[in-house]
Amino acid sequence: MTTTVRRTPLPVFTKALTDSRRSLVGWSLGFAAALSLYLPIFPSMSGNSQMQDLIDSLPTELTRTINYENIGTGAGYTQSTFFGLVGFLLISIAAISWGAAALGGDEESGQLELTLAHAVTRVEVAAQRFAALAVKILLPALVAFVIVMIWNGPAELDIDLANLLSTCLLFGGLALVCGSAALLGGALTGRRAWGIGTGAFVAVVGYVFNAVGNQGTDLEWLHALSPYYAAYGHDPLINGADAWTVVLFYLAALVLGALAALALRQRDVGV
Amino acid sequence: MTESLSQPAIEAVDLVKTFGRTVALDGVSFTVAPGSVFGVIGPNGAGKTTIMRALLDLIRLSSGRATLLGTESRNAGPELRRRIGYLPGELTLEGRSTGRRLLRHYADISGPVATGRVDELAERFSLDLDRTVRTLSKGNKQKLGIVQAFMHQPDLLVLDEPTSGLDPLMQQEFLGLVREARGNGQTVFLSSHVISEIQQAADEVAILRNGRIITVAGVDALRDSAIRHLRLSASGVTAGELHDRLRPLAGMEEVDCRPTAAGAEATAVLTGGISPFVNVIATLRLTDLVVEEPDLEESVLRLYSAPGAGP
Repeated sequence: MTTTVRRTPLPVFTKALTDSRRSLVGWSLGFAAALSLYLPIFPSMSGNSQMQDLIDSLPTELTRTINYENIGTGAGYTQSTFFGLVGFLLISIAAISWGAAALGGDEESGQLELTLAHAVTRVEVAAQRFAALAVKILLPALVAFVIVMIWNGPAELDIDLANLLSTCLLFGGLALVCGSAALLGGALTGRRAWGIGTGAFVAVVGYVFNAVGNQGTDLEWLHALSPYYAAYGHDPLINGADAWTVVLFYLAALVLGALAALALRQRDVGV
Repeated sequence: MTESLSQPAIEAVDLVKTFGRTVALDGVSFTVAPGSVFGVIGPNGAGKTTIMRALLDLIRLSSGRATLLGTESRNAGPELRRRIGYLPGELTLEGRSTGRRLLRHYADISGPVATGRVDELAERFSLDLDRTVRTLSKGNKQKLGIVQAFMHQPDLLVLDEPTSGLDPLMQQEFLGLVREARGNGQTVFLSSHVISEIQQAADEVAILRNGRIITVAGVDALRDSAIRHLRLSASGVTAGELHDRLRPLAGMEEVDCRPTAAGAEATAVLTGGISPFVNVIATLRLTDLVVEEPDLEESVLRLYSAPGAGP
């Protein structure tokens, strides 16, 4: 019998991860850098009444929009500056670009055709790439958890670690929902741009509906349509998060991933 | 190669594929015998690539069905595609990995691949596997695509324009690989617009035009139906007499006769059998006769352009 080369299990999943190892390192460093720029200056801001005066002097519409109302506490500050703003922006960009590239971009470039001609089903390809997407998104979320934990003492943030954990899970879950929407958009159309559009729509509309819903009771109903509000509306870093809310995000992402697999299964690929 | 010899490697029945209002395949049927090499030729847009994509279940037929190695291709499981090697017509390979890593990835999916097989193929094509794919020339990328299709020794090879971008030496190497595959009992289904290549490699040829198969023929039969250019001169005959003798022959066209000092000379184009022509010229006092090799390319081109050509 001829000897054969040993084969790697879950090749599509493994390749999706190893191919983006550089970009993963880059994003993780970016997260660590952003957190390490914001968090250490908290003590100088919280003890500084001028800073609070400045925030108070801003129009309430603005402070509500960027969620700076609770900026006086360590948890509120970390939530407002990182999880709700810069971190949300960074992880959404990463998740959406990964999600859009995973199927839509791969098909557009012509590479998906050859992969699908090999001994793998379309559903397997979609499922393994969705799993890789989830791992890739949870890794920066884990980095955020570790970095905040490290700064918690030195920067006098006084954040409860259980709340930090659930916030990081929501942070990753929200990004995974955006990334899965991008995956679905790409799977439906075979175009990267449509994937990015779909993912960005979920992220941006979620953010805008939250911000507009914050303005007053008339518009509060918009919160119901905002994934961003569902994640951060009840200040999970201060109050902790309901386990169901966390589970719901991952379930929603799973549903979007399953829809992407079904969409890919039905289509003509590479036309 | 567990299939019985009687079962066709590919059986395509009335394949129809429309994209919006464009009819890409308009009722294509053909059968490929196991262990044979089957070629498809046709101009761009004739539907060659569409047939191959439909066989691989990359696109779904509007109607009709294709059976590969005894399994219907539609929604076929990975086990079928493990037994198929595919080379897309527009090959795009991921640029950032090396050739070796990329082949390793496809082997992980479709393997097993025998140890040393990849290196052996790469050596035959003088392909450097340790270079980043992005830095490879078009021809070298094509070689990588060929290695990718052949490395797991599949029962069926579906190759869309396999020699595009290869230099003549490498084209010969590729044809050698196809002959070897046939020798191993593998079936090869390939497309080309280079007819000489099909002529060298294939047992049977389908000519495709506007989503329809015009003819399916053995290469020998195709050669018989091919046109030959003739040139002859004879003495003791006038141009008019020569014309009268040649013109009535079946398949004789474009007869052009001119008087010469000793008699007359003629040029013509002959389609089909040669013996009636030989009988006629036997009675002439020939001073010169040139019968060119049948030109498959030209005869096929005529088929492409013939307005009434149908199946």
